[in-house]
Amino acid sequence: MRRTYLGEFEEVVLLMVAILDGDAYGVTVSQAIEEHTGRVVAFGSVHNTLIRLEEKGFVKSELGGATAERGGRRKRLFHITALGSRALQEVQQLRQELWQLVPPGTLRLGGL
Amino acid sequence: MKSDVKPPRWARWLLTRLHPDDTLEEVEGDLDELYAHDYARGGKTQATLRYVLNVLSVLPPFVRRRKRKRDYYQQPSTLTLAMLRNYFKIVWRNLAKEKLYSLIKIGGLSTGVAACLLIALFVRQEVSYDQHYTAGDRIYRILEFSSFRGEVGSGVHFPAPLARTLQAEYPEFEQVGHYNAVEVFGAGSQEVRRSDALESTHDDGFVYASQELLSILQLPFLQGNPQQALTEPNTIVITKRKADTYFPGQNPIGKLLILNNDKQRQYRVSGVIEDFPVTSHFQYNFLMTLAGKEFGEGEQTNWRNSNYINYVRVRSGTDIGQLEHKLSGVVKKYFMPAASREGANHEEMAWLNSFRFKLQPVRAIYLNEDRVQDGLPHGDIRYIWLFGAIALFILLIASINFINLSTAKSANRAKEVGLRKVVGSLRRSLIGQFLTESLLFSSVSVVLGLLLANLLLPYFNGLVAKSLVFPWREWWLFPVLAIGTLLLGLLAGLYPAFYLSAFQPMQVLKGTVSRGSKHASTRSLLVVFQFTVSTVLIVGTFTIARQMHFILNKKLGFDKEQVLVLQGTHTLANQLTPFKNELLRLPDVKQASVSSFLPVEGTKRNNGGMWTQGMQDHEKVSSQHWNVDDAYVKTLGLKLVQGRNFSAQMLTDSQSVIINESLVKALHLRHPIGQRIFNWRGGWTVIGVVEDFHFNSLKEKIQPMGLFLGRSPNTILVKVATQDMAATLQSVTNVWKQFSPYQPIRYSFLDEQYASMYNDVQRTQRIFSSFAGLAILIACLGLFALSAFMAEQRSKEISIRKVLGASLNSILGLLAGNFIKLVLISFGIAAPIGWYLMSNWLNDFVYRIPLGWEIFLLAGLSTIGIALLTVSFQSIKAALMNPVKSLRSE
Repeated sequence: MRRTYLGEFEEVVLLMVAILDGDAYGVTVSQAIEEHTGRVVAFGSVHNTLIRLEEKGFVKSELGGATAERGGRRKRLFHITALGSRALQEVQQLRQELWQLVPPGTLRLGGL
Repeated sequence: MKSDVKPPRWARWLLTRLHPDDTLEEVEGDLDELYAHDYARGGKTQATLRYVLNVLSVLPPFVRRRKRKRDYYQQPSTLTLAMLRNYFKIVWRNLAKEKLYSLIKIGGLSTGVAACLLIALFVRQEVSYDQHYTAGDRIYRILEFSSFRGEVGSGVHFPAPLARTLQAEYPEFEQVGHYNAVEVFGAGSQEVRRSDALESTHDDGFVYASQELLSILQLPFLQGNPQQALTEPNTIVITKRKADTYFPGQNPIGKLLILNNDKQRQYRVSGVIEDFPVTSHFQYNFLMTLAGKEFGEGEQTNWRNSNYINYVRVRSGTDIGQLEHKLSGVVKKYFMPAASREGANHEEMAWLNSFRFKLQPVRAIYLNEDRVQDGLPHGDIRYIWLFGAIALFILLIASINFINLSTAKSANRAKEVGLRKVVGSLRRSLIGQFLTESLLFSSVSVVLGLLLANLLLPYFNGLVAKSLVFPWREWWLFPVLAIGTLLLGLLAGLYPAFYLSAFQPMQVLKGTVSRGSKHASTRSLLVVFQFTVSTVLIVGTFTIARQMHFILNKKLGFDKEQVLVLQGTHTLANQLTPFKNELLRLPDVKQASVSSFLPVEGTKRNNGGMWTQGMQDHEKVSSQHWNVDDAYVKTLGLKLVQGRNFSAQMLTDSQSVIINESLVKALHLRHPIGQRIFNWRGGWTVIGVVEDFHFNSLKEKIQPMGLFLGRSPNTILVKVATQDMAATLQSVTNVWKQFSPYQPIRYSFLDEQYASMYNDVQRTQRIFSSFAGLAILIACLGLFALSAFMAEQRSKEISIRKVLGASLNSILGLLAGNFIKLVLISFGIAAPIGWYLMSNWLNDFVYRIPLGWEIFLLAGLSTIGIALLTVSFQSIKAALMNPVKSLRSE
């Protein structure tokens, strides 16, 4: 087991932060999730998850510049940390190992 | 952003108000951006909807708070050892510095706690009655509700065959049992002796019980066979206490007890049961068997004699409502046919037909909210509420003292608060400090209160006529006390803590904070509350005292003074008349009369119809039929308003009757003397009319009654005229000894018996006056301290006024006036509350005092008087002080 547990939704959000590479903040992460997974999520869950990821040390944040379309309000930009990227890689590696353990034919659709 | 592309304003307002501050900016921006995006893609409605949902998802409690960064310096926890030690030190110093105020705070709180604890003990016992049966939810007593001529009645007494019938015909009943506690049949009290003893002793708690009752009520057997203890004729089950009294150190099983010196009534002890717990509604000492008993011919099969109280245990899963409904079948099948066979009239049939059965859970019997007359002692749910409320109010009054004194003395603490804030204390930790302080006070008070309550417990037991004990050994006592302490600390400490911790350091240190006069309105409000409660209690005390005085001094229509009541005289049998004659020979004895019908509750009573010639059935008057002898009227000093008394010489008087005025009225007799009236025993000629006298409690209206010459030998009334009651009693006892050497004499006084009818009223009076005293004492303590404080605060002002020539009176008015105003306001609030409560209470009595203004005047005057005394002590002290002393300091 890893020291810090990474939940399923947290994993998705963390991946999005990685994908967006420096341009990740509340809006872009929500939109990316909708775009890539088809899931429509409440903004609150993205917001909360980002804060939680930061508490766990998987992302870092800083307040970025203000833009006009935001009514002069600054956005909080998120970057993935080294710890975060290692956590993601470990998840992926674990999944791969598990996939290899599945006996061939088990997951074939039965008879159809 | 285009101006028309704007999310709803209310949602945005909600967001700004409720979302955590440190992430508000970014979230607001994000949501606006999302709104613009959705608007462009899906139109206004969809965008608005999404916006609202998103706002909701970032409002508490859904939103996660970003943790505060601790970049600058570490804030130590409020509860470090060093700080706590410091708090304790401060508390101790304040305590030592302000001895009077601390004493009043702690004294008030611990008195309140003691009152609360005692009342809690009482309430706990009252509500814990009959909780000890393991199958308690399946044990019921059978009640009947009926209506007759528009009058609703209820009863617990049923005919003997009912129990058998229910058992046989209703499978829902697992077991049915009954008992008979009718005194005429030998229940109640008896003269008891062991078969090998000569002298009988008087003992009570006798009852006839069926075998089934033992197992329904789950009576725990110590000796004997619980399955068969009462199955044989002439067997008896006794309690442990009685076994130890009559057969100390022996095995009582198989031993014989003789009742009333009657060889025919010998009972063999077949079982010993545990003493009934105090919290059992069922309290008897001797359970006599019903096996082979027949109280009168055919009584066991007669559906017209209701002498038995029935208990049942139903099978699990029985629908009680349905069963109650089904029971009406018994009325149709047995009660009504039996009645019609014996020629009952139409009215009675209608009455029987209105019978509705109810199964009363055994746990509900003691508090008896159905108000059924069953001859058992009952608790009163109203008293539980009343006491609970009083306890709560007393605790509130004490807490208010704490609050008022803490905030009043705030000026002294303001500097401390200011300084603490300046050196970096947070408001949070200041609140912590003050709460620690009040918790400390409440802990000390609870400990003292516990000691005080323990000390007062015997007195309190006398007050409520109970034998309560502290449950020291119960595991929950200390946790409950700890929680209570915590709550009390919070109740008394929360407001002062928030108030004191709110001082602004700048103002305090500059000296501009007002010196305790801020929040004076809150304090006034609380004082008004305290005195309202006190005044209501005082009004209650006065009203009850007045009613009690009225009861004890009311002209009752008979003379209750110097009347000796000799009980158990039926044991004299045919020696009764010689004994009475011997008594009359004593110089101090004026009259003596044989009759068990006495004008006090709890003595013999009966009831039946009475009518005149040609009256319809429904016109019959429900009336008392008392068997008395020819000396009864004289002995009790009854007043004959017409006709004459019975005469021993006139043989026809055995067919005569003396009636009371109520009966004259009820029968519409114009000229009663010489008229014929009838009851079930035949016809009688009226020879006299007595003035109405109160033979029942003043809670009831005087009932019609007739006096007949007849035997009722259990009691002899002896009217004496003596200065030396002890000597008279001795000579009466001597006469008794001659006639009945083995039977101890039993006597009481009629006036005492009369007064004991109102024990509950007296108890209420004592409780009310005790608690009213307590409440006003605590309230006045608070007032005393507040006035002392005010005088101290304004000492400079007073000095200057004095120097400028103010009179003593004007200064007194200045100081005390405000408080008196508050007390007056509370009187204004208390008067209607008191009036409402006490007129409710007085409604219990048919004969009662009017709730006059003088009671309120008296209550108001005494409250104000006490308050004035309290306040003026400090005020006079302040007004008399030498102005130089207080002015020189500046």
